[in-house]
Formats: sequence, C-alpha cells, structure tokens
Amino acid sequence: MLRVGIVGAGFMGAYHAAGWARTPAELVGFHSLNQRQIDQLIAQYGGRTFATLDALLDAVDVVDICTPTHLHYEMVLRAAAKGKHIVCEKPLARTAEQGEALVAACRQAGVTLLVAHVVRFFPEYAQAKTIVERGEIGRVGVVRLKRVSFQPNRPEDNWFVDIAKSGGMMLDLMIHDLDYARWVAGEVESVFARSVRSARPGAPGDYALAILRHANGALSNVEGGWAYPPPMFRTSLEIAGDGGLLEHPAGSSTALSVHLMAREEGDAPEIAVPRSPLLEDPYVVEIKHFYDVLAHGATPRVTAEDGLAALKLALAAIESAQTGRPVTL
Amino acid sequence: MRCAIMSFAHVHAEGYLRNLRANPAVEFIGFADEDADRGRHFAEQTGAPWFPTYEALLAEKPDGVIICSENARHRALAEMAAAAGAHILSEKPLATTPADAQAMVEACARAGVTLMTAFPMRFSAPTIEAKKVLDSGALGTVYGCNATNQGQLPRLHSAYPRGWFTDPALAGGGAATDHVVHVADLLRWYFQSEVTEVYAELNRIFYQEPGVNVETGGLVMLTFANGAFASIDCSWSKPPHYPTWGGLTMELVGEGGLVIVDPFRQVMSVYAQGTARPAWSYWGSNANQAMVDEFVSAVQERRAPAVTGHDGQQAAEIVAAAYRSAESHQPVALPPA
Repeated sequence: MLRVGIVGAGFMGAYHAAGWARTPAELVGFHSLNQRQIDQLIAQYGGRTFATLDALLDAVDVVDICTPTHLHYEMVLRAAAKGKHIVCEKPLARTAEQGEALVAACRQAGVTLLVAHVVRFFPEYAQAKTIVERGEIGRVGVVRLKRVSFQPNRPEDNWFVDIAKSGGMMLDLMIHDLDYARWVAGEVESVFARSVRSARPGAPGDYALAILRHANGALSNVEGGWAYPPPMFRTSLEIAGDGGLLEHPAGSSTALSVHLMAREEGDAPEIAVPRSPLLEDPYVVEIKHFYDVLAHGATPRVTAEDGLAALKLALAAIESAQTGRPVTL
Repeated sequence: MRCAIMSFAHVHAEGYLRNLRANPAVEFIGFADEDADRGRHFAEQTGAPWFPTYEALLAEKPDGVIICSENARHRALAEMAAAAGAHILSEKPLATTPADAQAMVEACARAGVTLMTAFPMRFSAPTIEAKKVLDSGALGTVYGCNATNQGQLPRLHSAYPRGWFTDPALAGGGAATDHVVHVADLLRWYFQSEVTEVYAELNRIFYQEPGVNVETGGLVMLTFANGAFASIDCSWSKPPHYPTWGGLTMELVGEGGLVIVDPFRQVMSVYAQGTARPAWSYWGSNANQAMVDEFVSAVQERRAPAVTGHDGQQAAEIVAAAYRSAESHQPVALPPA
C-alpha cells in the first residue's frame, strides 16, 4: 500500500489530507511546526505526528509538501535524496534556478515530482480544455483569465504577503492562470505585465495584468489580484477561437446562494478559495489523480516540467512588471 | 439647426439619421454619398434626400454634418465641411493617422467650426454613473482596469455590403483601429490623465476569410500619467452566431475595491419561435441619441462639445502607437499631449 505523509498542516495540508483520505493510500502522518493543526488533522484522518521531516520521509513512499513556497526547495531536495515520490504545492519553488535544480534532482533520483496546479482539476477549467482539444471552437485566438481575491489576512505568520517567502501575488495566485493559459494555448514566447506592486510600491492591495504571446500566435490576457474587498473572490474564463467562443464569466455559475438575515457581520476567511457546490472537490480529484499516477502509472495531467514552466512564466511576469519591458522566454 | 450626413459608408449612419430626425431642434436636409448604389439604396430605405456629391450637399449650407465615411476619408470630408462653415461630428476613429487627426483639428479651428468625435460611450448612463463613483473618491487611487471592447466582423452588422472595414487602406487597420479608441477615451475621461505608453500584441486568427486583410484579435496595455494601467481586449472575437454584436466592459480595481462597468448588459434574452438562437434585446438608454443631442446643443450654445476633436486626436495617437508596438513587440512611449 502506498504510504503518504504530508508536510505542512495549514489550509492546503488539510485539503490534501481530505484528498488522500479518499484514496487507497495510507496517510501515515504529518510534519508541521503547528502541533494544534496537526492534532486537528489526525483527529479527522488518523496518522501520527513526525517530529522531523527526515522521520516522516523514512516512513513514507510519497511526501506531499504543503508548506510555504520558500521551503519547497530544501524539502523536495531532501525527499528526492531519500528516493521518495513527491507531490508539491504550487509554485514549485521560489526561483527558476531552484525549480530547475528540483526537476533535475528528481529525474536523477528516479522519483516522480507532481506539482499541484489544482486549477487543471477544477471541472469548468478541465472541461474548457477538453472542448478546445476537441476542436469545437476552432483555433484558439485570445484567452482571457481572471483570478482576483482579497489580501490574505492570517493573524499569525502571514507568509503570503512576504515577497521573500511567497514571491507575492503573481507567483502565488496568478501562476494558476499562467499555467492554464499555457495548457490551453501552448508554449509562451513573451510576457508583458503591469503590476501595482511596481507602479505604486506603497499601495495596500496587489493587482496585475499580463499579456502573453503564445508560439502559435494566440494571445492571453491574465488578470490577478489581492485587491477586492473581503470576502470577494472572482474567477473567469474565456477562450475565443476562429470557430467559436467559450465564455464562463465571473459569478455566472452560482449554483447556490444563501442569504440570511444578518446576525453579526461575519469575518472574512483568512485566505480565499473559489467554491461551487460539487460532489467531489477539485482538490480531491487532484489527489486521486496523483494517486493513480503514483500507484498505477497513469499519465500525469501536470508534470514537473509543467510546474517549472509555470514558475518561469510567473517570474517572467514579475520581471516584466519591474522592468517595464516584455520578457522573452 | 440644419443638419446632414456625409457618406453612408459606416454602419452607424442609419442610426445617426434616426437620431437627427428625433432631435426637435434639427431640420434634417439629407445625406451625400458618392457611391451611387449606396446613395440610392439608403435614400429608398430611409426616405431621406440623397445628394450624389458632397459639393451639392454643402451648397445647401448645412449648419452641422455627421461624417460617416470610410475612416481614411474623414479628413478630406472634414476639410470640405469646415471650409463650407459646417460644424462637424465625425465618426470614430477621428482619423487613421495622428497627422490626419491633427489636420482636422486645425482645419476646424481655422474655420471656427466645432469638431466633435463620436464617442457615444461618454453618453452611456452606466459609464456616466461609474464616472460619478470614481469622482466621489470611493475607489481611491485606481490601480488598473481590465477592459474589453469585443465584437464581430463589422460587416456582419450591416445587411448592405460594407466590406471596407477590413481593407487597411480605407479602415486604417482592423480590430485595434475599431475597438481601442472607446475604452482609451473613457479612461482618459475617467482619470483626467493622458496615456504615456502603449504595448500591443495583435493577431489574425478570427475571421480568416477572403477580403479580411487586417488584424482581427488584439490585446493592448495602456499606462497613464497618473500611474494606472489598463488592458483592452479589442478583438473581433465574437462569432457570427453570438446573441449580440459584442460589448464593452471595464473592471476598475483600486484602493477602495472594484467597480464593474458593463453598459451593454441591459438586455434580456429572447428565445423567439422560428429563430435558431437566443438574441439579447437591449433595453438601456440610447447613448447615440444623447451624443447627437450634445452635438446639436453645443453648436447652438456656441460652446465646446463634451467630446472634442482633441479627444479624437489623442485616441488616434494611442492607436498609432499600438501598431508601432505590435510591430516591434516593445512598449511605445507617447509624446506629452
């Protein structure tokens, strides 16, 4: 039986634990600096606490890394050195050099590296990709992707807003749609971006727009931000081809709305995750797929190379916003 | 006020004719078109007097004219009209080159006639409401704007053949010429700030068919002097079977939150029997009528119109910079206005 351990017991660790619990894999336990969060996950999914990363690695076949971005590099390297397969949250790493090194290390160690670009597992995004692949809208001309929420607001260790740790909004959030744009419209030749981080360094919010030119001539408009009033989170998807158009505007698929008489002004969640009622959560779909890849050799929907390419796209967008020039890939 | 239309080349001419007729201060004297087939066709369709030459029309001494020729011919008609002392409302884009736009502005200034650029979105109720929100300061500093002005191939909007929209010599270009100027003008108005830099990527994937010799898709990024940035999707990316002609949207994000402007959303979906597809029936206010009314009022009141020739000239500069950028794949700086 495939033995899995999760590193990092925050909100993403919890999503992944829920996913592994729906697979035949054995969730042997967790390593995290936050024992309270581990205890909650153990109560729900079983397993035990590992005091060190090495102790966890010695007890598993697969390690699932759900830690802040700046920790991915060291952890993936150590896992690869011990010959363990790896699921790693996006972004793969904090820098392109780190990302390259991780892909090389995993290849050399003969271990599988899966990068958790979960948007590829959201049903509307997966279905849009299928519709495009079937040729239903012809050749792709312009792709439009939006993903804007509010500033992450964790009371303790708000690493998302620490550029050194997370890389900022473009590396943490916009990377989802940069990956998706590349998935549906192919390799990217150049990225031009504008960001409020660069234009107004003191601004309280973060917001960016990017224009991608794909090798096949298609263009993508990617919008990302931590700028909306909480708890607002909007995503949208539009793919225009020479044979048709696929539109999925923000808010157009609200399948359930609950409007209750106000009790007290509810606090916004600390971090936003887009939600629509589904019998199977996209994170569960993702982890089940990763299980099939690791246990049965299924073809991964997102490879280590895809994770590296997405990382490079996000870094290119950041560089373009900083320099004011397009970045050629 | 005696008004006329110069040329029925543009698909908006029929609408402007209705707008002129609906204005009680206007005596509509007819239209000129040197294309005899087109002239006779629209004379019959509208019942309006047709003048086979512009000279014949201007000999009637109209007080005001609306120019609806092919884009590249705006300048010549504006110079004729100005010389004849007629005030001018020109269809957008004002001209296909900044030099032509400047010549039009100067010719009208010399002749002492009004030059207004047809940017009807300035008269759209939702865009005006959004301007009020911005002016109230509720959004605070605006970070950026994600905008679209998408459409279909323009010739699909006309039962009468009007193929020149995809002829670069007459149109000046394709989707970028057609659909950058509205949003660019609205944002100049909203921000009271000029565009300092333009980046554009254009392609020709939609509507690859004979006679379409211009770009049909494009993404443009504008940077304003106030620090805000804006992307405009100017693509003709709506397929022929889309339920409406296209649309214009702006999502403005700033310190204070988000303002979404979607003026053409005032529609209902109609699934009529005998039609294969639903259609969106627009029920919002008529911005074109308000724009034509403003032209008439401005002339009568001897004041500058709400949208000037200068506004059209600035938009023409932005479009020209977009084409230079698309060629070099580099951002292009605009000279200070």
